Amino acid sequence: MNAETNIFAGLDMARLDKRRRRINRIMLSLTAVATLFAVIPLFWITIYVIIKGGSYLNLDLFIHLPQAMGTEGGGVLHAIEGSAVMVLFASIFAIPPALLAAFYLLHHPNTPLANFLRFSTDLLSGIPSIVVGLFGYAVIVIVQKHYSALAGSVVLAIIMLPVILRSAEEMLKLVPQELREGALALGSPEWKSALTVVLPAAAEGVVTGIMLGIARAAGETAPLIFTALGNDNYEIFQYIRQTIQYRQGVGEAFKLILEQPTDALPLTLWKYAQQPYPERVQQAWAVALVLMLFVLSLNIAARLWLAKRRRQRYG
Amino acid sequence: MPEKQTIKIDIRDVSVHYGTFQALTGVSMPAYENKVTAIIGPSGCGKSTLLRSINRMNDLVPHFRIEGTVTLDGEDIYAPRRDVVDIRRRIGMVFQRPNPFPMSIYNNVAYGPRLYHIRSKNVLDEIVERSLRQAALWEEVKDKLHQSGLSISGGQQQRLCIARAIAVQPEVILMDEPASALDPIATLKIEELMHELKKNYTIIIVTHNMQQAARVSDYTAMMMLSDSESRSGTVIEFDETERIFTNPKDKRTEDYVTGRFG
Amino acid sequence: MPVSESLPPHKAQKRTPPALWVALRHGDALWDALLWLSAALTTVLVFWIGWKLWVDSALSRAATGWDFVSPWAPPSWNPVLDKFHAWPAIYGSLVTSLIALLVATPFSIAVAIFLAELAPSRIRQILNYMVEMLAAVPSVVYGLWGIYVFLPLVVVPLGKFLGATLGQVPGLDVFFGGTIPDSGLSRLGASLILVLMITPTIAAVTRDVFQAIPQSQREASLALGATQWETTWRVLIPYGLSGILGAVILGLGRAIGETMAVTMVIGNTTGGGWSILRPGYTMASIIANEFAEAVSGMHTAALVEIGVVLFVITFLLNLFSRYLVWRVNRKVIVR
Ligand SMILES: Nc1ncnc2c1ncn2[C@@H]1O[C@H](COP(=O)(O)OP(=O)(O)O)[C@@H](O)[C@H]1O
Ligand SMILES: [Mg+2]
Repeated sequence: MNAETNIFAGLDMARLDKRRRRINRIMLSLTAVATLFAVIPLFWITIYVIIKGGSYLNLDLFIHLPQAMGTEGGGVLHAIEGSAVMVLFASIFAIPPALLAAFYLLHHPNTPLANFLRFSTDLLSGIPSIVVGLFGYAVIVIVQKHYSALAGSVVLAIIMLPVILRSAEEMLKLVPQELREGALALGSPEWKSALTVVLPAAAEGVVTGIMLGIARAAGETAPLIFTALGNDNYEIFQYIRQTIQYRQGVGEAFKLILEQPTDALPLTLWKYAQQPYPERVQQAWAVALVLMLFVLSLNIAARLWLAKRRRQRYG
Repeated sequence: MPEKQTIKIDIRDVSVHYGTFQALTGVSMPAYENKVTAIIGPSGCGKSTLLRSINRMNDLVPHFRIEGTVTLDGEDIYAPRRDVVDIRRRIGMVFQRPNPFPMSIYNNVAYGPRLYHIRSKNVLDEIVERSLRQAALWEEVKDKLHQSGLSISGGQQQRLCIARAIAVQPEVILMDEPASALDPIATLKIEELMHELKKNYTIIIVTHNMQQAARVSDYTAMMMLSDSESRSGTVIEFDETERIFTNPKDKRTEDYVTGRFG
Repeated sequence: MPVSESLPPHKAQKRTPPALWVALRHGDALWDALLWLSAALTTVLVFWIGWKLWVDSALSRAATGWDFVSPWAPPSWNPVLDKFHAWPAIYGSLVTSLIALLVATPFSIAVAIFLAELAPSRIRQILNYMVEMLAAVPSVVYGLWGIYVFLPLVVVPLGKFLGATLGQVPGLDVFFGGTIPDSGLSRLGASLILVLMITPTIAAVTRDVFQAIPQSQREASLALGATQWETTWRVLIPYGLSGILGAVILGLGRAIGETMAVTMVIGNTTGGGWSILRPGYTMASIIANEFAEAVSGMHTAALVEIGVVLFVITFLLNLFSRYLVWRVNRKVIVR
């Protein structure tokens, strides 16, 4: 060593190192504890909902309409059907424009419109869903002068749109450029190669995005409060039977299904949760269980499926 | 070199696995105090693996496994209760690509000392200046110590990384192809630096540049993939650099240093 | 070399049909138009929403002006007098979101550190799933569980404790004064539910930020003898700061916009003073709770104007997080 001073000369290195090691251990353990705490609610909620909801779950719930307030029995068939109808129509409204817009981003990644689109998609996904509900109220409920499944579907579609669009964009980008060019080189038009080559190649990712969008829409309550409103007597099979019986057209059936106030599982859950009748609160727990099962299994399925397909593809 | 040499680092019969893949087999070589030892060999033969085993950097790699011993001043660095942090302070490392932190030049150099609760501005100023001087960077950056470490050229960044490494006064400095990402002028600077640095430090440098090894090192270890089934790397010859380049014992070394390899 | 020269003569000479006709036959013009239309409509949608809210809140804006959002205007949310000042709801949103953020941020960063830097790969996989699940639980379910489990078991005891300690400190008693209702319905309850709801969001984004930091940064620090914690604290967190801030902004947006769970546990009243132990309203919850029943045009317009405030906040937060992303990208390019 030359004449340079030892910077650690005055320090008790062994003690210092011991202290640093201790701080290291403590802080790292704290992150583990924090993680433990963060996942506790998942178990707490899930287990509680399973136990509580499970004990009130019965077949009636799925096959009957609600009874009058304060009486036992009855079910939430109206809400199950309403949720199914609104999520289905929301998907129909949201998926095509989301995928087409994603293709736009794929083909024209750097145009001003593309950048603007990305910005407004981000913004759209950040807007509180209750605000989307206000919009649905203004442009559909006010215009039609009544609450409806249609209005509910439209607001749910607006909520699904950014979820699907973003994941579709990501997934389409992963499709190798050569695949698309290969199809074009064979003389296939752009739209054909997009729909028959690129889209199938990205299918699992796109479907995952759609599943996540559906899961998100199925759990939404806030925007439905003043678009779908709720309707204890909503029963689509009844409507279908009725139209057949009176020999009305398909249009009439659609009108009955889409053009009147409708209930949804999360909406029912919200209303039942705060009522003074214990039967209703019990049903709220059962509904919570159904809703959790649906949303979480859709989520898990989507992610597991994507992970599995990725593994298959990339070894 | 007639004088008596002290062995600073001793690698004995080291084998390394990454999971089921064997990267090194039976590597043995010393590194003498205040000398520059070069490790040369074709790419993929395990030079980086060997180097990173010396300061236990490979501990970060999942499924990394090592057999054999590596000693620093005769102490096994893989001994069960050995403190990695202490080893890494005593054995510094400079990486292939310059990797300064996205903070000021000053803070980059002061990073290490501050870990040891050295906070006095005077002391830190002194350490920073001395380290930058030793890394032959002081004159170029003394007026912009508070600019980002990323704002200087690649060659300067690499010398900044060297300054950062020597700020904690390690005993050994490991360099993994420190000049491979640099232009010839910057490379020359780093090579000149090496001659200065070895007065204070023991240096082990990986390079695939034959001339560089010949220019800067006192000893050279020649690594090669073994011909056996496993295709794992090993040191086939270790000697004074002069000997390796003029009169190698192994035919493969001769082929390699004369460019007849492959 | 011009392409035509390389073509066989008979092809080059063939009469080319009009471009439009070819394009239409192949459908590509139509396809392009369709893509453009979808992109344009999607882009416009969000601005249409903002514009529609703006127009529909005209009545309230004209009647109340800036007093609507002013903390100094006399508090009034009175459907009988048709006089609406939104400050109590704005205060409720701010206080619940800020408390939630204050608690959730350090907590989430710790979770992210564990997920990105420490957890062994198998546990990490499972924990990642759990974090995703937590973010996916519908907010009504959080609300239901909140009312019947979380409020009585956690919020009420904690509220009593805070009231007995901080509530007695002069100065702090403004925020911790009064007693928490036996039901637990309170701003505190809403804040804590929000903590649970935004932690997974912030943690997941922060985890991704950590994972995007080059390994060379970790190695540089560890090679100097830093411990893993020192490396995380002094290198990784500063390196990812913009990204982490972005995650926090995202969490803030979630907290302010969260409706159902908050509506179910906050008690829904325009009173409540400043104390977090008392029930109140947030902007989202007042809309959820009153809009369907609002009778007068002014009441409706006032609720829509609250929607405008929410929209503007979302817009600003989004701009800010864009700016952060832009900064992160710039840093990556410099490297
Ligand atoms: N982290 C790792 N995991 C698995 N294999 C690795 C890892 N690092 C290096 N290897 C393998 O070990 C062998 C030696 O690599 P390396 O030490 O980087 O060689 P060199 O530095 O001589 O080019 C190579 O076959 C490489 O693929
Ligand atoms: Mg290497």
